[in-house]
Amino acid sequence: MSDDVLLTLEELVLVCSVTPEWVRERVEEGLLPTAPEWRFSTIAVRRVRRMVALERDFDAAPELAALMADLLEELDALRARVR
Amino acid sequence: MEFKDYYQTLGVARDAAADDIRKAFRKLARKYHPDVSKEPDAEARMKEVNEANAVLSDPEKRAAYDQLGRGYQPGQDFRPPPDWDAGFEFSHRDAPPADFSDFFAELFGRMGARAQGQDHYAKVLLDIEDAFVGATRQIALRVPKADARGRVTLETRTLNVRIPVGVREGQLIRLAGQGAAGAGQPGDLLLEVHFKPHARYRVEGRDLHVDLPVAPWEAALGAVLQVDVPGGALNVRIPAGAQSGRVLRVRGKGIPAAPPGDLLLTLRVLLPPADTPEARELYETMARKLAFDARAAAGDGA
Repeated sequence: MSDDVLLTLEELVLVCSVTPEWVRERVEEGLLPTAPEWRFSTIAVRRVRRMVALERDFDAAPELAALMADLLEELDALRARVR
Repeated sequence: MEFKDYYQTLGVARDAAADDIRKAFRKLARKYHPDVSKEPDAEARMKEVNEANAVLSDPEKRAAYDQLGRGYQPGQDFRPPPDWDAGFEFSHRDAPPADFSDFFAELFGRMGARAQGQDHYAKVLLDIEDAFVGATRQIALRVPKADARGRVTLETRTLNVRIPVGVREGQLIRLAGQGAAGAGQPGDLLLEVHFKPHARYRVEGRDLHVDLPVAPWEAALGAVLQVDVPGGALNVRIPAGAQSGRVLRVRGKGIPAAPPGDLLLTLRVLLPPADTPEARELYETMARKLAFDARAAAGDGA
Protein backbone atom coordinates (compact mmCIF):
# COMPACT_ATOMS: atom_id res chain seq x y z
CA MET A 1 0.00 0.00 0.00
CA SER A 2 1.69 3.16 -1.10
CA ASP A 3 0.81 6.36 0.63
CA ASP A 4 2.10 9.72 -0.46
CA VAL A 5 1.20 11.60 2.69
CA LEU A 6 4.63 12.22 4.17
CA LEU A 7 5.41 13.96 7.44
CA THR A 8 8.43 16.03 8.26
CA LEU A 9 10.48 15.18 11.34
CA GLU A 10 8.84 18.10 13.15
CA GLU A 11 5.36 16.82 12.38
CA LEU A 12 6.22 13.27 13.36
CA VAL A 13 7.63 14.47 16.68
CA LEU A 14 4.48 16.45 17.37
CA VAL A 15 2.05 13.74 16.35
CA CYS A 16 3.82 10.99 18.31
CA SER A 17 5.00 13.01 21.34
CA VAL A 18 8.63 11.97 21.00
CA THR A 19 11.83 13.99 20.79
CA PRO A 20 13.77 14.47 17.56
CA GLU A 21 16.71 12.67 19.24
CA TRP A 22 14.56 9.64 19.91
CA VAL A 23 13.70 9.48 16.21
CA ARG A 24 17.26 10.13 15.02
CA GLU A 25 18.74 7.37 17.16
CA ARG A 26 16.30 4.82 15.86
CA VAL A 27 16.66 5.84 12.25
CA GLU A 28 20.45 5.63 12.55
CA GLU A 29 20.17 2.17 14.11
CA GLY A 30 17.96 1.08 11.21
CA LEU A 31 14.96 0.47 13.46
CA LEU A 32 12.73 3.03 11.82
CA PRO A 33 12.47 3.33 8.05
CA THR A 34 12.31 6.78 6.49
CA ALA A 35 11.33 7.99 3.08
CA PRO A 36 13.98 10.08 1.29
CA GLU A 37 14.97 13.39 2.91
CA TRP A 38 13.77 12.44 6.39
CA ARG A 39 10.12 12.15 5.55
CA PHE A 40 7.85 9.71 7.34
CA SER A 41 4.83 7.83 6.05
CA THR A 42 1.62 7.34 8.01
CA ILE A 43 2.75 3.75 8.49
CA ALA A 44 5.83 5.10 10.26
CA VAL A 45 3.55 7.07 12.59
CA ARG A 46 1.85 3.88 13.68
CA ARG A 47 5.22 2.17 14.08
CA VAL A 48 6.63 4.97 16.21
CA ARG A 49 3.60 4.95 18.51
CA ARG A 50 3.94 1.22 18.99
CA MET A 51 7.67 1.39 19.67
CA VAL A 52 7.20 4.23 22.15
CA ALA A 53 4.53 2.31 24.05
CA LEU A 54 6.59 -0.88 24.16
CA GLU A 55 9.75 0.86 25.30
CA ARG A 56 7.85 2.81 27.95
CA ASP A 57 5.48 0.14 29.26
CA PHE A 58 7.96 -2.73 29.39
CA ASP A 59 11.32 -0.97 29.52
CA ALA A 60 11.96 -2.74 26.22
CA ALA A 61 15.26 -2.20 24.44
CA PRO A 62 14.72 -0.24 21.21
CA GLU A 63 15.79 -3.28 19.16
CA LEU A 64 13.19 -5.45 20.89
CA ALA A 65 10.45 -2.85 20.43
CA ALA A 66 11.35 -2.67 16.73
CA LEU A 67 11.20 -6.44 16.43
CA MET A 68 7.75 -6.46 18.05
CA ALA A 69 6.68 -3.68 15.68
CA ASP A 70 7.85 -5.80 12.72
CA LEU A 71 5.73 -8.69 13.95
CA LEU A 72 2.70 -6.51 14.60
CA GLU A 73 2.97 -5.01 11.12
CA GLU A 74 3.03 -8.50 9.65
CA LEU A 75 -0.01 -9.33 11.77
CA ASP A 76 -1.78 -6.22 10.42
CA ALA A 77 -1.07 -7.32 6.85
CA LEU A 78 -2.31 -10.87 7.48
CA ARG A 79 -5.43 -9.65 9.26
CA ALA A 80 -6.21 -7.33 6.35
CA ARG A 81 -5.95 -10.29 3.96
CA VAL A 82 -8.18 -12.51 6.10
CA ARG A 83 -10.90 -9.89 6.29
CA MET B 1 -15.66 15.12 38.90
CA GLU B 2 -15.35 11.55 40.06
CA PHE B 3 -12.58 10.45 42.34
CA LYS B 4 -10.42 7.78 40.72
CA ASP B 5 -8.85 5.05 42.80
CA TYR B 6 -5.63 4.42 40.93
CA TYR B 7 -4.63 1.66 43.35
CA GLN B 8 -7.80 -0.22 42.52
CA THR B 9 -7.20 0.27 38.79
CA LEU B 10 -3.81 -1.43 39.06
CA GLY B 11 -5.00 -3.93 41.66
CA VAL B 12 -2.30 -3.11 44.21
CA ALA B 13 -2.37 -2.25 47.92
CA ARG B 14 -2.02 1.36 49.02
CA ASP B 15 1.37 0.56 50.55
CA ALA B 16 2.63 -1.34 47.51
CA ALA B 17 6.32 -0.99 46.74
CA ALA B 18 7.39 0.69 43.51
CA ASP B 19 8.47 -2.68 42.20
CA ASP B 20 5.03 -4.22 42.78
CA ILE B 21 3.39 -1.31 41.02
CA ARG B 22 5.65 -1.77 38.03
CA LYS B 23 4.90 -5.49 37.93
CA ALA B 24 1.15 -4.95 38.20
CA PHE B 25 1.26 -2.35 35.46
CA ARG B 26 3.19 -4.59 33.08
CA LYS B 27 0.82 -7.45 33.64
CA LEU B 28 -2.14 -5.24 32.78
CA ALA B 29 -0.31 -3.56 29.89
CA ARG B 30 0.18 -6.99 28.40
CA LYS B 31 -3.42 -8.03 29.05
CA TYR B 32 -4.93 -4.92 27.48
CA HIS B 33 -2.35 -4.29 24.77
CA PRO B 34 -4.59 -2.96 21.96
CA ASP B 35 -2.85 -4.97 19.24
CA VAL B 36 -3.35 -8.37 20.78
CA SER B 37 -5.99 -8.11 23.49
CA LYS B 38 -9.18 -10.08 23.07
CA GLU B 39 -10.92 -8.06 25.77
CA PRO B 40 -13.81 -6.03 24.31
CA ASP B 41 -12.97 -2.80 26.15
CA ALA B 42 -9.19 -3.16 25.91
CA GLU B 43 -8.53 0.34 24.66
CA ALA B 44 -10.56 2.05 27.38
CA ARG B 45 -9.00 -0.13 30.06
CA MET B 46 -5.50 0.52 28.73
CA LYS B 47 -6.12 4.26 29.05
CA GLU B 48 -7.15 3.88 32.67
CA VAL B 49 -4.18 1.66 33.40
CA ASN B 50 -1.78 4.12 31.75
CA GLU B 51 -3.25 6.99 33.72
CA ALA B 52 -3.03 5.12 37.02
CA ASN B 53 0.55 4.16 36.26
CA ALA B 54 1.49 7.71 35.31
CA VAL B 55 0.56 8.76 38.84
CA LEU B 56 1.63 5.79 40.96
CA SER B 57 4.97 5.20 39.24
CA ASP B 58 6.03 8.80 39.87
CA PRO B 59 7.02 9.28 43.53
CA GLU B 60 6.08 12.98 43.53
CA LYS B 61 2.69 12.47 41.97
CA ARG B 62 2.00 9.42 44.11
CA ALA B 63 2.74 11.30 47.33
CA ALA B 64 0.47 14.17 46.31
CA TYR B 65 -2.28 11.76 45.29
CA ASP B 66 -2.03 9.83 48.56
CA GLN B 67 -2.27 12.98 50.63
CA LEU B 68 -5.23 14.26 48.68
CA GLY B 69 -7.14 11.04 48.25
CA ARG B 70 -7.38 10.12 51.91
CA GLY B 71 -10.97 9.29 52.74
CA TYR B 72 -12.34 9.31 49.18
CA GLN B 73 -14.20 6.41 47.63
CA PRO B 74 -13.94 5.64 43.91
CA GLY B 75 -16.71 7.37 41.97
CA GLN B 76 -17.38 9.83 44.79
CA ASP B 77 -17.73 13.45 43.76
CA PHE B 78 -14.36 15.09 44.15
CA ARG B 79 -13.20 18.69 44.40
CA PRO B 80 -9.57 19.36 45.17
CA PRO B 81 -9.16 21.91 47.94
CA PRO B 82 -7.70 25.23 46.78
CA ASP B 83 -3.93 25.28 46.63
CA TRP B 84 -3.77 21.65 47.66
CA ASP B 85 -0.57 21.23 45.69
CA ALA B 86 1.27 24.15 47.29
CA GLY B 87 3.54 21.86 49.26
CA PHE B 88 4.57 19.74 46.29
CA GLU B 89 7.12 20.49 43.70
CA PHE B 90 6.66 18.70 40.42
CA SER B 91 9.88 18.38 38.51
CA HIS B 92 8.19 17.96 35.15
CA ARG B 93 5.15 19.92 34.24
CA ASP B 94 3.91 18.32 31.10
CA ALA B 95 0.58 19.08 29.60
CA PRO B 96 -1.72 16.17 30.39
CA PRO B 97 -2.20 13.78 27.48
CA ALA B 98 -5.55 14.70 25.98
CA ASP B 99 -6.99 11.24 26.59
CA PHE B 100 -6.38 11.22 30.31
CA SER B 101 -9.38 12.00 32.50
CA ASP B 102 -10.50 15.38 33.83
CA PHE B 103 -9.56 14.08 37.25
CA PHE B 104 -5.95 13.66 36.17
CA ALA B 105 -5.88 17.02 34.41
CA GLU B 106 -7.23 18.79 37.48
CA LEU B 107 -4.64 17.26 39.79
CA PHE B 108 -1.53 17.15 37.69
CA GLY B 109 -2.15 19.41 34.75
CA ARG B 110 -0.33 22.43 36.14
CA MET B 111 2.08 23.99 33.78
CA GLY B 112 3.42 27.39 32.95
CA ALA B 113 1.58 29.35 30.31
CA ARG B 114 3.35 29.01 27.01
CA ALA B 115 5.25 32.02 25.79
CA GLN B 116 5.08 31.06 22.16
CA GLY B 117 2.26 29.64 20.15
CA GLN B 118 2.67 25.95 19.45
CA ASP B 119 1.44 23.52 16.92
CA HIS B 120 -1.34 21.40 18.30
CA TYR B 121 -2.45 18.03 17.23
CA ALA B 122 -5.69 16.08 17.41
CA LYS B 123 -7.35 13.07 15.85
CA VAL B 124 -10.67 13.26 14.04
CA LEU B 125 -12.98 10.39 13.21
CA LEU B 126 -14.74 10.72 9.86
CA ASP B 127 -17.22 8.69 7.88
CA ILE B 128 -15.82 7.00 4.80
CA GLU B 129 -18.44 8.85 2.77
CA ASP B 130 -16.77 12.14 3.73
CA ALA B 131 -13.74 11.20 1.62
CA PHE B 132 -15.95 10.91 -1.46
CA VAL B 133 -18.05 14.01 -1.26
CA GLY B 134 -16.13 16.21 1.13
CA ALA B 135 -17.82 17.62 4.18
CA THR B 136 -17.79 20.28 6.80
CA ARG B 137 -17.49 18.69 10.20
CA GLN B 138 -17.89 20.29 13.54
CA ILE B 139 -15.32 18.83 15.86
CA ALA B 140 -14.93 19.35 19.57
CA LEU B 141 -11.38 19.46 20.87
CA ARG B 142 -10.36 19.31 24.49
CA VAL B 143 -7.69 21.89 24.96
CA PRO B 144 -5.65 22.36 28.11
CA LYS B 145 -5.92 25.97 29.28
CA ALA B 146 -3.90 27.50 32.08
CA ASP B 147 -5.71 29.83 34.45
CA ALA B 148 -4.19 32.80 36.29
CA ARG B 149 -2.66 30.53 38.93
CA GLY B 150 -1.11 28.31 36.32
CA ARG B 151 -3.40 25.36 36.94
CA VAL B 152 -4.67 23.64 33.85
CA THR B 153 -8.19 22.64 33.03
CA LEU B 154 -9.46 21.02 29.88
CA GLU B 155 -11.65 23.32 27.85
CA THR B 156 -13.78 22.28 24.93
CA ARG B 157 -13.24 24.20 21.74
CA THR B 158 -15.50 23.71 18.76
CA LEU B 159 -14.15 24.10 15.27
CA ASN B 160 -15.72 23.87 11.86
CA VAL B 161 -13.37 21.94 9.61
CA ARG B 162 -13.71 21.55 5.90
CA ILE B 163 -12.84 17.99 4.95
CA PRO B 164 -11.38 17.92 1.44
CA VAL B 165 -12.57 15.36 -1.10
CA GLY B 166 -10.08 12.50 -1.34
CA VAL B 167 -8.92 12.57 2.26
CA ARG B 168 -7.28 9.33 3.37
CA GLU B 169 -6.72 7.29 6.51
CA GLY B 170 -3.82 8.72 8.47
CA GLN B 171 -3.67 11.94 6.48
CA LEU B 172 -2.89 15.16 8.28
CA ILE B 173 -4.98 18.27 7.72
CA ARG B 174 -3.16 21.44 8.71
CA LEU B 175 -5.24 24.37 9.93
CA ALA B 176 -2.97 27.39 9.96
CA GLY B 177 -3.21 29.57 13.04
CA GLN B 178 -5.58 27.27 14.97
CA GLY B 179 -3.01 25.85 17.36
CA ALA B 180 -2.20 27.13 20.83
CA ALA B 181 -2.30 30.88 21.11
CA GLY B 182 0.73 32.27 22.88
CA ALA B 183 2.32 35.66 23.14
CA GLY B 184 3.49 35.39 19.56
CA GLN B 185 1.86 33.92 16.49
CA PRO B 186 -0.53 31.10 17.22
CA GLY B 187 0.70 27.72 16.01
CA ASP B 188 -1.04 25.43 13.57
CA LEU B 189 -3.53 22.72 14.36
CA LEU B 190 -2.78 19.33 12.81
CA LEU B 191 -5.71 16.98 12.49
CA GLU B 192 -5.04 13.31 11.86
CA VAL B 193 -7.84 11.68 9.91
CA HIS B 194 -9.26 8.27 10.80
CA PHE B 195 -12.32 6.57 9.40
CA LYS B 196 -15.04 5.08 11.54
CA PRO B 197 -15.48 1.38 10.88
CA HIS B 198 -18.26 0.84 8.34
CA ALA B 199 -20.54 -2.17 7.97
CA ARG B 200 -20.01 -2.41 4.19
CA TYR B 201 -17.02 -0.33 3.23
CA ARG B 202 -13.36 -0.84 4.00
CA VAL B 203 -10.64 1.53 2.89
CA GLU B 204 -7.09 0.50 2.09
CA GLY B 205 -4.96 3.40 0.96
CA ARG B 206 -7.06 4.92 -1.80
CA ASP B 207 -8.91 1.72 -2.66
CA LEU B 208 -12.43 1.02 -1.46
CA HIS B 209 -13.33 -2.60 -0.71
CA VAL B 210 -16.97 -3.67 -0.77
CA ASP B 211 -18.56 -7.11 -0.48
CA LEU B 212 -21.13 -7.69 -3.21
CA PRO B 213 -23.74 -10.40 -2.59
CA VAL B 214 -24.93 -12.06 -5.82
CA ALA B 215 -27.45 -14.76 -6.66
CA PRO B 216 -26.07 -18.00 -8.18
CA TRP B 217 -27.61 -17.23 -11.59
CA GLU B 218 -26.16 -13.71 -11.60
CA ALA B 219 -22.72 -15.18 -11.05
CA ALA B 220 -23.17 -18.05 -13.49
CA LEU B 221 -24.86 -16.19 -16.33
CA GLY B 222 -23.35 -12.76 -15.85
CA ALA B 223 -25.36 -9.67 -15.02
CA VAL B 224 -25.27 -5.92 -14.76
CA LEU B 225 -25.90 -4.92 -11.16
CA GLN B 226 -26.40 -1.62 -9.45
CA VAL B 227 -23.97 -1.20 -6.55
CA ASP B 228 -24.39 1.47 -3.90
CA VAL B 229 -21.13 3.28 -3.25
CA PRO B 230 -20.47 6.47 -1.28
CA GLY B 231 -21.72 9.42 -3.26
CA GLY B 232 -24.01 7.48 -5.57
CA ALA B 233 -24.74 4.19 -7.31
CA LEU B 234 -22.73 2.44 -10.00
CA ASN B 235 -23.62 -0.11 -12.67
CA VAL B 236 -21.19 -3.00 -12.61
CA ARG B 237 -20.98 -5.86 -15.08
CA ILE B 238 -20.52 -9.29 -13.50
CA PRO B 239 -18.81 -11.59 -16.00
CA ALA B 240 -20.47 -14.95 -16.70
CA GLY B 241 -18.95 -17.80 -14.71
CA ALA B 242 -17.84 -15.66 -11.79
CA GLN B 243 -17.18 -17.60 -8.60
CA SER B 244 -17.73 -16.57 -5.00
CA GLY B 245 -14.69 -14.74 -3.65
CA ARG B 246 -13.70 -13.33 -7.01
CA VAL B 247 -12.59 -9.71 -6.80
CA LEU B 248 -13.71 -7.29 -9.50
CA ARG B 249 -11.70 -4.12 -9.86
CA VAL B 250 -13.47 -1.00 -11.07
CA ARG B 251 -10.70 1.42 -11.93
CA GLY B 252 -10.88 4.98 -10.69
CA LYS B 253 -13.97 4.49 -8.53
CA GLY B 254 -12.19 4.38 -5.18
CA ILE B 255 -11.40 7.45 -3.15
CA PRO B 256 -11.28 10.43 -5.50
CA ALA B 257 -7.76 11.79 -5.61
CA ALA B 258 -5.12 12.33 -8.25
CA PRO B 259 -4.85 9.54 -9.29
CA PRO B 260 -8.09 8.14 -7.84
CA GLY B 261 -8.19 4.76 -6.09
CA ASP B 262 -10.04 1.70 -7.35
CA LEU B 263 -13.25 0.08 -6.21
CA LEU B 264 -12.72 -3.59 -5.34
CA LEU B 265 -15.85 -5.71 -5.25
CA THR B 266 -15.60 -9.13 -3.63
CA LEU B 267 -18.37 -11.37 -4.95
CA ARG B 268 -20.26 -13.42 -2.38
CA VAL B 269 -22.59 -15.94 -3.95
CA LEU B 270 -25.59 -16.39 -1.67
CA LEU B 271 -27.71 -19.51 -2.14
CA PRO B 272 -31.49 -19.19 -2.07
CA PRO B 273 -32.84 -21.41 0.73
CA ALA B 274 -34.43 -24.69 -0.33
CA ASP B 275 -37.43 -24.10 1.88
CA THR B 276 -40.30 -24.54 -0.58
CA PRO B 277 -41.21 -27.55 -2.75
CA GLU B 278 -40.40 -25.49 -5.88
CA ALA B 279 -37.00 -24.48 -4.61
CA ARG B 280 -36.18 -28.04 -3.60
CA GLU B 281 -37.23 -29.26 -7.03
CA LEU B 282 -34.98 -26.73 -8.77
CA TYR B 283 -31.98 -27.84 -6.72
CA GLU B 284 -32.82 -31.51 -7.34
CA THR B 285 -33.10 -30.86 -11.07
CA MET B 286 -29.68 -29.21 -11.06
CA ALA B 287 -28.22 -32.09 -9.09
CA ARG B 288 -29.62 -34.58 -11.63
CA LYS B 289 -28.79 -32.73 -14.81
CA LEU B 290 -25.55 -30.87 -14.17
CA ALA B 291 -23.18 -33.69 -13.20
CA PHE B 292 -21.26 -31.19 -11.10
CA ASP B 293 -18.63 -32.31 -8.60
CA ALA B 294 -17.68 -29.28 -6.47
CA ARG B 295 -14.57 -30.97 -5.04
CA ALA B 296 -13.31 -31.94 -8.47
CA ALA B 297 -14.14 -28.46 -9.84
CA ALA B 298 -12.17 -26.85 -7.03
CA GLY B 299 -9.30 -29.18 -7.94
CA ASP B 300 -8.32 -29.89 -4.36
CA GLY B 301 -9.26 -33.57 -4.48
CA ALA B 302 -10.30 -33.47 -0.83
